[in-house]
Amino acid sequence: MSGTPVVRSASAVDAGRVIRGIEVQARVINALMLRETKTRYGNYKIGFLWGLIEPAVSVSIFVAIFSVLRQDQPSGMPLVPFMLVGFVGFSMFKDPWGQMQAAIGHSRQLLAFPQVSTFDVLMAKGLLEVAITLFVFVFLLCMAALLGYEVRVERPLGVLMACALLCTLGLGMGFLFAAVEPIIPSVKQLSGQLMGRPLYFSSGLFFTAEAIPGAVLDYLLWNPVLHMIELLRGEFFHGFETAYGSWLYASGWSFGTLAAGLTVHQALRRRAISTK
Amino acid sequence: MIRLVDVSKRYRTQAGHKVVLDKVNLEFPVGASVGILGLNGAGKSTLIRIIGRAEPPDSGRMECDQRVSWPLGYSGGFQGNLTARENARFVARIYGEDPRYIEAFTEEFSELGEYFDEPVKSYSAGMQSRFAFSVSLACNFEYYLVDEALETGDARYREKFRLAFEERRANASVILVSHNEQTIRRNCDMAAILHDGSLVLYEDLKEALYEYNVLQNRPR
Repeated sequence: MSGTPVVRSASAVDAGRVIRGIEVQARVINALMLRETKTRYGNYKIGFLWGLIEPAVSVSIFVAIFSVLRQDQPSGMPLVPFMLVGFVGFSMFKDPWGQMQAAIGHSRQLLAFPQVSTFDVLMAKGLLEVAITLFVFVFLLCMAALLGYEVRVERPLGVLMACALLCTLGLGMGFLFAAVEPIIPSVKQLSGQLMGRPLYFSSGLFFTAEAIPGAVLDYLLWNPVLHMIELLRGEFFHGFETAYGSWLYASGWSFGTLAAGLTVHQALRRRAISTK
Repeated sequence: MIRLVDVSKRYRTQAGHKVVLDKVNLEFPVGASVGILGLNGAGKSTLIRIIGRAEPPDSGRMECDQRVSWPLGYSGGFQGNLTARENARFVARIYGEDPRYIEAFTEEFSELGEYFDEPVKSYSAGMQSRFAFSVSLACNFEYYLVDEALETGDARYREKFRLAFEERRANASVILVSHNEQTIRRNCDMAAILHDGSLVLYEDLKEALYEYNVLQNRPR
Protein backbone atom coordinates (compact mmCIF):
# COMPACT_ATOMS: atom_id res chain seq x y z
CA MET A 1 0.00 0.00 0.00
CA SER A 2 0.94 3.66 0.01
CA GLY A 3 2.93 5.46 2.66
CA THR A 4 6.64 6.05 2.79
CA PRO A 5 8.55 3.46 4.74
CA VAL A 6 9.70 4.69 8.11
CA VAL A 7 13.47 4.73 8.14
CA ARG A 8 14.82 4.16 11.58
CA SER A 9 18.45 4.26 12.49
CA ALA A 10 19.43 3.45 16.00
CA SER A 11 22.44 5.73 16.16
CA ALA A 12 21.10 8.98 14.78
CA VAL A 13 19.15 10.98 17.30
CA ASP A 14 16.54 13.16 15.70
CA ALA A 15 16.84 16.45 17.57
CA GLY A 16 13.44 17.71 16.47
CA ARG A 17 11.83 14.57 17.76
CA VAL A 18 13.54 14.90 21.13
CA ILE A 19 12.49 18.54 21.49
CA ARG A 20 8.91 17.69 20.57
CA GLY A 21 8.98 14.90 23.12
CA ILE A 22 10.13 17.28 25.83
CA GLU A 23 7.42 19.74 24.85
CA VAL A 24 4.73 17.11 25.18
CA GLN A 25 6.11 15.98 28.51
CA ALA A 26 6.20 19.53 29.91
CA ARG A 27 2.65 20.09 28.70
CA VAL A 28 1.43 16.87 30.28
CA ILE A 29 3.13 17.48 33.64
CA ASN A 30 1.74 21.01 33.68
CA ALA A 31 -1.79 19.76 32.96
CA LEU A 32 -1.48 17.05 35.59
CA MET A 33 -0.30 19.53 38.22
CA LEU A 34 -3.17 21.90 37.49
CA ARG A 35 -5.58 19.01 37.75
CA GLU A 36 -3.96 17.76 40.90
CA THR A 37 -4.43 21.11 42.65
CA LYS A 38 -8.15 20.51 42.31
CA THR A 39 -8.14 16.99 43.69
CA ARG A 40 -5.27 17.11 46.20
CA TYR A 41 -7.46 18.04 49.13
CA GLY A 42 -10.66 16.41 47.96
CA ASN A 43 -13.54 18.61 46.99
CA TYR A 44 -13.40 20.86 50.02
CA LYS A 45 -13.01 24.53 49.35
CA ILE A 46 -11.05 24.97 52.58
CA GLY A 47 -9.00 21.86 51.86
CA PHE A 48 -5.94 23.88 51.08
CA LEU A 49 -6.04 25.38 54.58
CA TRP A 50 -5.56 21.92 56.00
CA GLY A 51 -2.08 21.89 54.50
CA LEU A 52 -1.26 24.89 56.71
CA ILE A 53 -3.16 23.86 59.80
CA GLU A 54 -1.64 20.42 60.12
CA PRO A 55 2.01 21.48 60.51
CA ALA A 56 0.96 24.49 62.58
CA VAL A 57 -0.82 22.17 65.03
CA SER A 58 2.13 19.77 65.28
CA VAL A 59 4.51 22.63 65.93
CA SER A 60 2.19 24.19 68.52
CA ILE A 61 1.86 20.91 70.40
CA PHE A 62 5.61 20.39 70.59
CA VAL A 63 6.23 24.03 71.47
CA ALA A 64 3.67 23.70 74.27
CA ILE A 65 5.24 20.50 75.61
CA PHE A 66 8.72 21.94 75.55
CA SER A 67 7.60 25.20 77.20
CA VAL A 68 5.90 23.30 80.01
CA LEU A 69 9.00 21.18 80.53
CA ARG A 70 10.92 24.47 80.82
CA GLN A 71 13.45 23.11 78.43
CA ASP A 72 16.20 25.59 77.65
CA GLN A 73 16.21 27.07 74.21
CA PRO A 74 17.79 24.46 71.97
CA SER A 75 21.38 25.54 71.26
CA GLY A 76 20.57 29.21 70.96
CA MET A 77 17.66 28.88 68.55
CA PRO A 78 14.28 30.48 69.28
CA LEU A 79 11.86 27.65 70.07
CA VAL A 80 9.05 28.34 67.57
CA PRO A 81 11.18 28.78 64.44
CA PHE A 82 13.31 25.86 65.62
CA MET A 83 10.30 23.55 65.64
CA LEU A 84 8.91 25.01 62.42
CA VAL A 85 12.11 24.35 60.52
CA GLY A 86 12.25 20.81 61.87
CA PHE A 87 8.65 19.85 61.15
CA VAL A 88 8.20 21.54 57.79
CA GLY A 89 11.68 20.39 56.76
CA PHE A 90 10.60 16.83 57.48
CA SER A 91 7.45 17.38 55.38
CA MET A 92 9.62 18.34 52.40
CA PHE A 93 10.98 14.81 52.53
CA LYS A 94 7.90 12.91 53.67
CA ASP A 95 5.04 14.52 51.70
CA PRO A 96 6.32 13.98 48.15
CA TRP A 97 7.09 10.39 49.08
CA GLY A 98 3.68 9.81 50.64
CA GLN A 99 1.75 11.42 47.79
CA MET A 100 3.69 9.69 45.04
CA GLN A 101 3.61 6.23 46.53
CA ALA A 102 -0.01 5.35 45.74
CA ALA A 103 -0.13 7.51 42.62
CA ILE A 104 0.03 4.78 39.99
CA GLY A 105 -2.96 2.95 41.42
CA HIS A 106 -4.95 6.15 41.78
CA SER A 107 -4.17 7.47 38.33
CA ARG A 108 -4.91 4.41 36.28
CA GLN A 109 -7.57 6.17 34.23
CA LEU A 110 -5.08 8.88 33.29
CA LEU A 111 -2.67 6.36 31.89
CA ALA A 112 -5.25 5.53 29.21
CA PHE A 113 -4.10 8.71 27.50
CA PRO A 114 -1.10 7.68 25.41
CA GLN A 115 1.00 10.73 26.18
CA VAL A 116 0.59 10.37 29.94
CA SER A 117 3.25 8.12 31.45
CA THR A 118 3.72 6.94 35.00
CA PHE A 119 6.76 9.21 35.15
CA ASP A 120 4.58 12.24 34.35
CA VAL A 121 2.01 11.28 36.96
CA LEU A 122 4.65 10.79 39.65
CA MET A 123 6.62 13.89 38.73
CA ALA A 124 3.49 16.04 38.76
CA LYS A 125 2.46 14.73 42.19
CA GLY A 126 5.96 15.15 43.60
CA LEU A 127 6.57 18.62 42.21
CA LEU A 128 3.19 19.85 43.40
CA GLU A 129 3.94 18.51 46.88
CA VAL A 130 7.33 20.22 46.88
CA ALA A 131 5.69 23.49 45.85
CA ILE A 132 3.05 23.15 48.57
CA THR A 133 5.55 22.44 51.36
CA LEU A 134 7.82 25.28 50.28
CA PHE A 135 4.81 27.58 50.30
CA VAL A 136 3.77 26.31 53.72
CA PHE A 137 7.32 26.84 54.97
CA VAL A 138 7.43 30.48 53.86
CA PHE A 139 3.89 31.16 54.97
CA LEU A 140 4.29 29.75 58.48
CA LEU A 141 7.61 31.55 58.95
CA CYS A 142 5.89 34.80 57.99
CA MET A 143 3.10 34.03 60.43
CA ALA A 144 5.64 33.36 63.18
CA ALA A 145 7.38 36.65 62.39
CA LEU A 146 4.05 38.49 62.52
CA LEU A 147 3.35 36.91 65.90
CA GLY A 148 6.55 38.47 67.16
CA TYR A 149 8.95 35.52 67.05
CA GLU A 150 12.40 36.24 65.77
CA VAL A 151 12.72 34.85 62.25
CA ARG A 152 16.00 35.70 60.58
CA VAL A 153 17.48 33.57 57.84
CA GLU A 154 21.24 33.41 58.18
CA ARG A 155 22.21 31.97 54.76
CA PRO A 156 19.24 31.79 52.37
CA LEU A 157 21.19 29.95 49.68
CA GLY A 158 22.26 27.28 52.13
CA VAL A 159 18.67 26.93 53.33
CA LEU A 160 17.58 26.39 49.74
CA MET A 161 20.27 23.76 49.26
CA ALA A 162 19.21 21.84 52.35
CA CYS A 163 15.57 22.06 51.26
CA ALA A 164 16.57 20.78 47.81
CA LEU A 165 18.27 17.76 49.40
CA LEU A 166 15.19 16.96 51.47
CA CYS A 167 12.88 17.28 48.46
CA THR A 168 15.18 15.23 46.24
CA LEU A 169 15.32 12.44 48.79
CA GLY A 170 11.53 12.55 49.04
CA LEU A 171 11.13 12.37 45.24
CA GLY A 172 13.59 9.48 45.08
CA MET A 173 11.71 7.53 47.76
CA GLY A 174 8.49 8.38 45.94
CA PHE A 175 9.67 6.91 42.64
CA LEU A 176 11.09 3.86 44.37
CA PHE A 177 8.01 2.99 46.41
CA ALA A 178 5.53 3.99 43.71
CA ALA A 179 7.13 1.56 41.28
CA VAL A 180 7.29 -1.29 43.77
CA GLU A 181 3.89 -0.88 45.43
CA PRO A 182 1.69 -2.16 42.58
CA ILE A 183 3.81 -5.33 42.50
CA ILE A 184 4.37 -5.86 46.21
CA PRO A 185 1.45 -4.18 47.95
CA SER A 186 2.87 -4.84 51.42
CA VAL A 187 5.52 -2.12 50.99
CA LYS A 188 2.66 0.21 51.87
CA GLN A 189 2.80 -1.05 55.45
CA LEU A 190 6.58 -0.81 55.42
CA SER A 191 6.61 2.82 54.32
CA GLY A 192 3.81 3.69 56.72
CA GLN A 193 5.85 2.25 59.56
CA LEU A 194 9.02 4.02 58.42
CA MET A 195 7.42 7.40 57.94
CA GLY A 196 5.66 7.05 61.25
CA ARG A 197 7.75 6.16 64.22
CA PRO A 198 11.40 5.59 63.33
CA LEU A 199 11.92 8.47 60.92
CA TYR A 200 9.63 10.89 62.73
CA PHE A 201 11.45 10.39 66.02
CA SER A 202 15.00 10.04 64.74
CA SER A 203 15.24 12.85 62.21
CA GLY A 204 15.71 15.69 64.66
CA LEU A 205 12.30 17.28 64.22
CA PHE A 206 12.30 18.43 67.83
CA PHE A 207 15.91 17.98 68.93
CA THR A 208 19.42 18.66 67.74
CA ALA A 209 22.06 15.99 67.30
CA GLU A 210 24.22 17.44 70.04
CA ALA A 211 21.44 16.91 72.59
CA ILE A 212 21.61 13.14 72.04
CA PRO A 213 24.04 10.97 74.03
CA GLY A 214 26.96 9.73 71.95
CA ALA A 215 26.18 6.02 71.95
CA VAL A 216 22.67 6.59 70.59
CA LEU A 217 23.80 9.34 68.26
CA ASP A 218 26.19 6.99 66.48
CA TYR A 219 23.20 5.03 65.30
CA LEU A 220 20.97 8.03 64.61
CA LEU A 221 23.59 9.55 62.34
CA TRP A 222 22.97 6.79 59.82
CA ASN A 223 19.69 8.57 59.12
CA PRO A 224 20.29 11.02 56.25
CA VAL A 225 17.20 13.05 57.14
CA LEU A 226 18.77 13.93 60.49
CA HIS A 227 21.80 15.24 58.60
CA MET A 228 19.61 17.33 56.34
CA ILE A 229 17.59 18.86 59.14
CA GLU A 230 20.79 19.61 61.05
CA LEU A 231 22.21 21.29 57.96
CA LEU A 232 18.98 23.17 57.37
CA ARG A 233 19.06 24.57 60.91
CA GLY A 234 22.74 25.37 60.62
CA GLU A 235 22.10 27.46 57.52
CA PHE A 236 18.94 28.99 58.90
CA PHE A 237 19.91 30.15 62.39
CA HIS A 238 22.52 32.67 63.34
CA GLY A 239 23.37 31.08 66.66
CA PHE A 240 23.63 27.46 65.55
CA GLU A 241 26.35 25.58 63.73
CA THR A 242 25.87 21.87 63.25
CA ALA A 243 28.79 19.70 64.22
CA TYR A 244 27.24 16.54 62.80
CA GLY A 245 25.36 17.31 59.58
CA SER A 246 27.44 16.30 56.57
CA TRP A 247 26.68 17.74 53.13
CA LEU A 248 28.48 14.88 51.48
CA TYR A 249 26.58 12.16 53.31
CA ALA A 250 23.25 13.94 52.83
CA SER A 251 23.68 14.64 49.13
CA GLY A 252 25.00 11.12 48.54
CA TRP A 253 21.75 9.75 49.91
CA SER A 254 19.58 12.27 48.07
CA PHE A 255 21.00 11.77 44.62
CA GLY A 256 21.68 8.09 45.18
CA THR A 257 18.05 7.52 46.16
CA LEU A 258 16.78 9.55 43.24
CA ALA A 259 18.95 7.55 40.83
CA ALA A 260 17.82 4.28 42.40
CA GLY A 261 14.19 5.39 42.37
CA LEU A 262 14.26 6.38 38.71
CA THR A 263 16.07 3.18 37.76
CA VAL A 264 13.65 0.92 39.58
CA HIS A 265 10.72 2.88 38.17
CA GLN A 266 12.08 2.52 34.65
CA ALA A 267 12.60 -1.19 35.12
CA LEU A 268 9.21 -1.93 36.67
CA ARG A 269 6.85 0.60 35.10
CA ARG A 270 5.35 -1.78 32.56
CA ARG A 271 4.65 -4.38 35.19
CA ALA A 272 3.37 -1.73 37.57
CA ILE A 273 0.77 -0.63 34.99
CA SER A 274 -0.37 -4.09 34.00
CA THR A 275 -1.06 -5.38 37.51
CA LYS A 276 -4.62 -4.64 38.32
CA MET B 1 0.04 6.22 9.11
CA ILE B 2 -0.39 3.52 11.68
CA ARG B 3 1.61 0.35 11.46
CA LEU B 4 1.75 -2.68 13.69
CA VAL B 5 5.05 -4.53 13.64
CA ASP B 6 5.24 -8.01 15.14
CA VAL B 7 2.76 -7.08 17.84
CA SER B 8 2.04 -9.84 20.32
CA LYS B 9 -0.14 -9.85 23.36
CA ARG B 10 -1.24 -12.61 25.63
CA TYR B 11 -3.14 -12.80 28.86
CA ARG B 12 -2.69 -15.08 31.77
CA THR B 13 -5.81 -17.05 32.55
CA GLN B 14 -6.64 -19.83 34.96
CA ALA B 15 -6.07 -22.35 32.19
CA GLY B 16 -2.69 -20.93 31.18
CA HIS B 17 -1.83 -18.33 28.57
CA LYS B 18 -4.31 -17.07 26.04
CA VAL B 19 -2.64 -15.59 22.98
CA VAL B 20 -4.72 -12.69 21.75
CA LEU B 21 -2.35 -11.24 19.18
CA ASP B 22 0.35 -13.39 17.63
CA LYS B 23 3.01 -11.38 15.79
CA VAL B 24 0.51 -9.19 14.04
CA ASN B 25 1.81 -7.10 11.13
CA LEU B 26 -0.48 -4.60 9.52
CA GLU B 27 -0.31 -1.18 7.97
CA PHE B 28 -3.48 0.86 8.09
CA PRO B 29 -3.76 2.66 4.75
CA VAL B 30 -3.77 6.44 4.91
CA GLY B 31 -7.15 8.06 4.57
CA ALA B 32 -9.15 4.86 4.71
CA SER B 33 -11.59 3.83 7.37
CA VAL B 34 -10.90 0.32 8.48
CA GLY B 35 -13.27 -1.96 10.30
CA ILE B 36 -12.00 -4.76 12.45
CA LEU B 37 -14.26 -7.78 12.69
CA GLY B 38 -13.88 -10.50 15.22
CA LEU B 39 -15.90 -12.91 17.26
CA ASN B 40 -16.53 -12.18 20.90
CA GLY B 41 -13.36 -12.51 22.89
CA ALA B 42 -11.10 -12.48 19.83
CA GLY B 43 -9.18 -9.53 21.28
CA LYS B 44 -10.73 -6.63 19.39
CA SER B 45 -10.75 -4.33 22.38
CA THR B 46 -7.20 -5.27 23.27
CA LEU B 47 -6.14 -4.45 19.74
CA ILE B 48 -7.79 -1.05 19.86
CA ARG B 49 -6.19 -0.29 23.22
CA ILE B 50 -2.80 -1.13 21.78
CA ILE B 51 -3.41 1.06 18.74
CA GLY B 52 -4.51 3.86 21.06
CA ARG B 53 -1.40 3.21 23.13
CA ALA B 54 -3.46 2.80 26.26
CA GLU B 55 -1.75 -0.53 26.76
CA PRO B 56 1.70 -1.67 25.65
CA PRO B 57 2.07 -4.87 23.60
CA ASP B 58 4.10 -7.70 25.15
CA SER B 59 6.45 -7.52 22.19
CA GLY B 60 6.62 -5.75 18.88
CA ARG B 61 5.75 -2.13 18.36
CA MET B 62 3.15 0.29 17.14
CA GLU B 63 4.38 2.96 14.75
CA CYS B 64 2.35 6.06 14.35
CA ASP B 65 3.17 9.59 13.31
CA GLN B 66 -0.24 11.13 13.76
CA ARG B 67 -2.65 11.79 16.54
CA VAL B 68 -4.92 8.98 17.52
CA SER B 69 -8.00 9.45 19.67
CA TRP B 70 -8.80 7.33 22.68
CA PRO B 71 -11.61 4.85 21.96
CA LEU B 72 -14.58 7.02 21.17
CA GLY B 73 -17.09 7.46 23.92
CA TYR B 74 -14.71 5.94 26.43
CA SER B 75 -15.05 7.99 29.58
CA GLY B 76 -12.58 6.07 31.72
CA GLY B 77 -9.91 8.74 31.30
CA PHE B 78 -11.97 11.32 33.08
CA GLN B 79 -11.75 12.03 36.75
CA GLY B 80 -15.10 11.63 38.47
CA ASN B 81 -14.44 14.29 41.09
CA LEU B 82 -13.84 16.94 38.49
CA THR B 83 -16.47 18.70 36.42
CA ALA B 84 -16.86 18.26 32.68
CA ARG B 85 -15.35 21.70 32.23
CA GLU B 86 -12.25 20.80 34.21
CA ASN B 87 -11.87 17.47 32.44
CA ALA B 88 -12.23 19.12 29.04
CA ARG B 89 -9.54 21.63 29.91
CA PHE B 90 -7.25 18.85 31.08
CA VAL B 91 -7.65 16.92 27.84
CA ALA B 92 -7.06 20.10 25.83
CA ARG B 93 -3.85 20.77 27.74
CA ILE B 94 -2.34 17.34 27.29
CA TYR B 95 -3.11 17.38 23.56
CA GLY B 96 -1.77 20.90 23.22
CA GLU B 97 -5.11 22.30 22.04
CA ASP B 98 -6.53 25.63 23.10
CA PRO B 99 -8.37 24.90 26.38
CA ARG B 100 -10.90 27.68 25.83
CA TYR B 101 -11.89 26.39 22.41
CA ILE B 102 -12.20 22.77 23.54
CA GLU B 103 -14.19 23.86 26.56
CA ALA B 104 -16.57 25.98 24.51
CA PHE B 105 -17.06 23.33 21.81
CA THR B 106 -17.65 20.58 24.35
CA GLU B 107 -20.07 22.63 26.40
CA GLU B 108 -22.10 23.43 23.31
CA PHE B 109 -22.00 20.03 21.68
CA SER B 110 -22.58 17.86 24.73
CA GLU B 111 -25.80 19.68 25.62
CA LEU B 112 -25.15 19.02 29.28
CA GLY B 113 -26.40 22.44 30.32
CA GLU B 114 -25.81 23.20 33.97
CA TYR B 115 -24.44 19.70 34.50
CA PHE B 116 -21.33 20.85 32.67
CA ASP B 117 -20.16 22.31 35.99
CA GLU B 118 -21.06 19.28 38.07
CA PRO B 119 -18.66 16.41 38.86
CA VAL B 120 -18.60 13.85 36.07
CA LYS B 121 -19.30 11.03 38.52
CA SER B 122 -22.81 12.39 39.08
CA TYR B 123 -23.70 11.84 35.40
CA SER B 124 -25.80 9.05 34.02
CA ALA B 125 -24.06 6.65 31.65
CA GLY B 126 -25.64 8.40 28.68
CA MET B 127 -24.46 11.82 29.81
CA GLN B 128 -20.97 10.51 30.42
CA SER B 129 -20.63 9.12 26.95
CA ARG B 130 -22.18 12.25 25.44
CA PHE B 131 -19.48 14.24 27.16
CA ALA B 132 -16.75 11.83 26.09
CA PHE B 133 -17.94 11.93 22.45
CA SER B 134 -18.00 15.70 22.48
CA VAL B 135 -14.46 16.02 23.80
CA SER B 136 -13.08 13.65 21.19
CA LEU B 137 -14.87 15.54 18.44
CA ALA B 138 -13.51 18.81 19.79
CA CYS B 139 -9.92 17.67 19.42
CA ASN B 140 -8.94 17.27 15.77
CA PHE B 141 -7.58 13.76 15.63
CA GLU B 142 -6.19 12.23 12.46
CA TYR B 143 -7.38 8.82 13.56
CA TYR B 144 -10.51 8.04 15.49
CA LEU B 145 -10.75 4.75 17.31
CA VAL B 146 -14.20 3.36 17.82
CA ASP B 147 -14.92 0.37 20.00
CA GLU B 148 -18.26 -1.21 19.13
CA ALA B 149 -21.22 0.91 18.17
CA LEU B 150 -21.50 4.65 17.90
CA GLU B 151 -24.70 4.42 19.81
CA THR B 152 -25.29 6.86 22.63
CA GLY B 153 -28.08 8.90 24.14
CA ASP B 154 -31.48 9.38 22.56
CA ALA B 155 -32.25 9.12 18.85
CA ARG B 156 -32.01 12.83 18.19
CA TYR B 157 -28.60 13.14 19.80
CA ARG B 158 -27.39 10.03 18.03
CA GLU B 159 -28.30 11.60 14.72
CA LYS B 160 -26.55 14.84 15.60
CA PHE B 161 -23.46 12.96 16.57
CA ARG B 162 -23.54 10.76 13.48
CA LEU B 163 -23.66 13.83 11.23
CA ALA B 164 -20.81 15.54 13.04
CA PHE B 165 -18.76 12.38 12.90
CA GLU B 166 -19.51 11.93 9.21
CA GLU B 167 -18.21 15.43 8.61
CA ARG B 168 -15.08 14.74 10.58
CA ARG B 169 -14.44 11.60 8.57
CA ALA B 170 -13.72 13.75 5.54
CA ASN B 171 -10.35 14.66 7.06
CA ALA B 172 -9.79 11.83 9.46
CA SER B 173 -9.55 8.08 9.33
CA VAL B 174 -11.51 5.73 11.48
CA ILE B 175 -10.52 2.42 12.95
CA LEU B 176 -13.67 0.76 14.08
CA VAL B 177 -13.98 -2.44 16.00
CA SER B 178 -17.22 -4.37 16.00
CA HIS B 179 -18.80 -7.76 15.78
CA ASN B 180 -21.72 -6.17 14.01
CA GLU B 181 -21.57 -6.27 10.22
CA GLN B 182 -24.04 -3.44 9.83
CA THR B 183 -21.87 -0.97 11.71
CA ILE B 184 -18.85 -1.94 9.66
CA ARG B 185 -20.71 -1.73 6.35
CA ARG B 186 -21.99 1.75 7.14
CA ASN B 187 -18.72 3.25 8.35
CA CYS B 188 -15.80 1.51 6.70
CA ASP B 189 -14.01 1.34 3.36
CA MET B 190 -12.31 -1.95 4.11
CA ALA B 191 -12.12 -4.44 6.90
CA ALA B 192 -9.74 -6.75 8.69
CA ILE B 193 -10.63 -9.94 10.48
CA LEU B 194 -9.10 -10.80 13.82
CA HIS B 195 -9.17 -14.50 14.50
CA ASP B 196 -6.95 -16.84 16.50
CA GLY B 197 -4.32 -14.19 17.09
CA SER B 198 -3.89 -13.17 13.48
CA LEU B 199 -5.19 -10.10 11.72
CA VAL B 200 -5.88 -10.18 7.98
CA LEU B 201 -6.81 -7.08 5.99
CA TYR B 202 -9.21 -7.32 3.06
CA GLU B 203 -9.26 -4.31 0.80
CA ASP B 204 -12.61 -5.39 -0.51
CA LEU B 205 -15.21 -4.88 2.15
CA LYS B 206 -17.56 -7.46 0.62
CA GLU B 207 -14.89 -10.11 0.70
CA ALA B 208 -14.17 -9.36 4.34
CA LEU B 209 -17.83 -9.64 5.27
CA TYR B 210 -18.13 -12.88 3.34
CA GLU B 211 -15.12 -14.38 5.11
CA TYR B 212 -16.50 -13.20 8.42
CA ASN B 213 -19.79 -14.94 7.70
CA VAL B 214 -17.99 -18.15 6.96
CA LEU B 215 -16.12 -17.78 10.21
CA GLN B 216 -19.26 -17.13 12.19
CA ASN B 217 -21.07 -20.13 10.80
CA ARG B 218 -18.20 -22.51 11.21
CA PRO B 219 -19.01 -25.03 13.92
CA ARG B 220 -16.86 -24.53 16.98
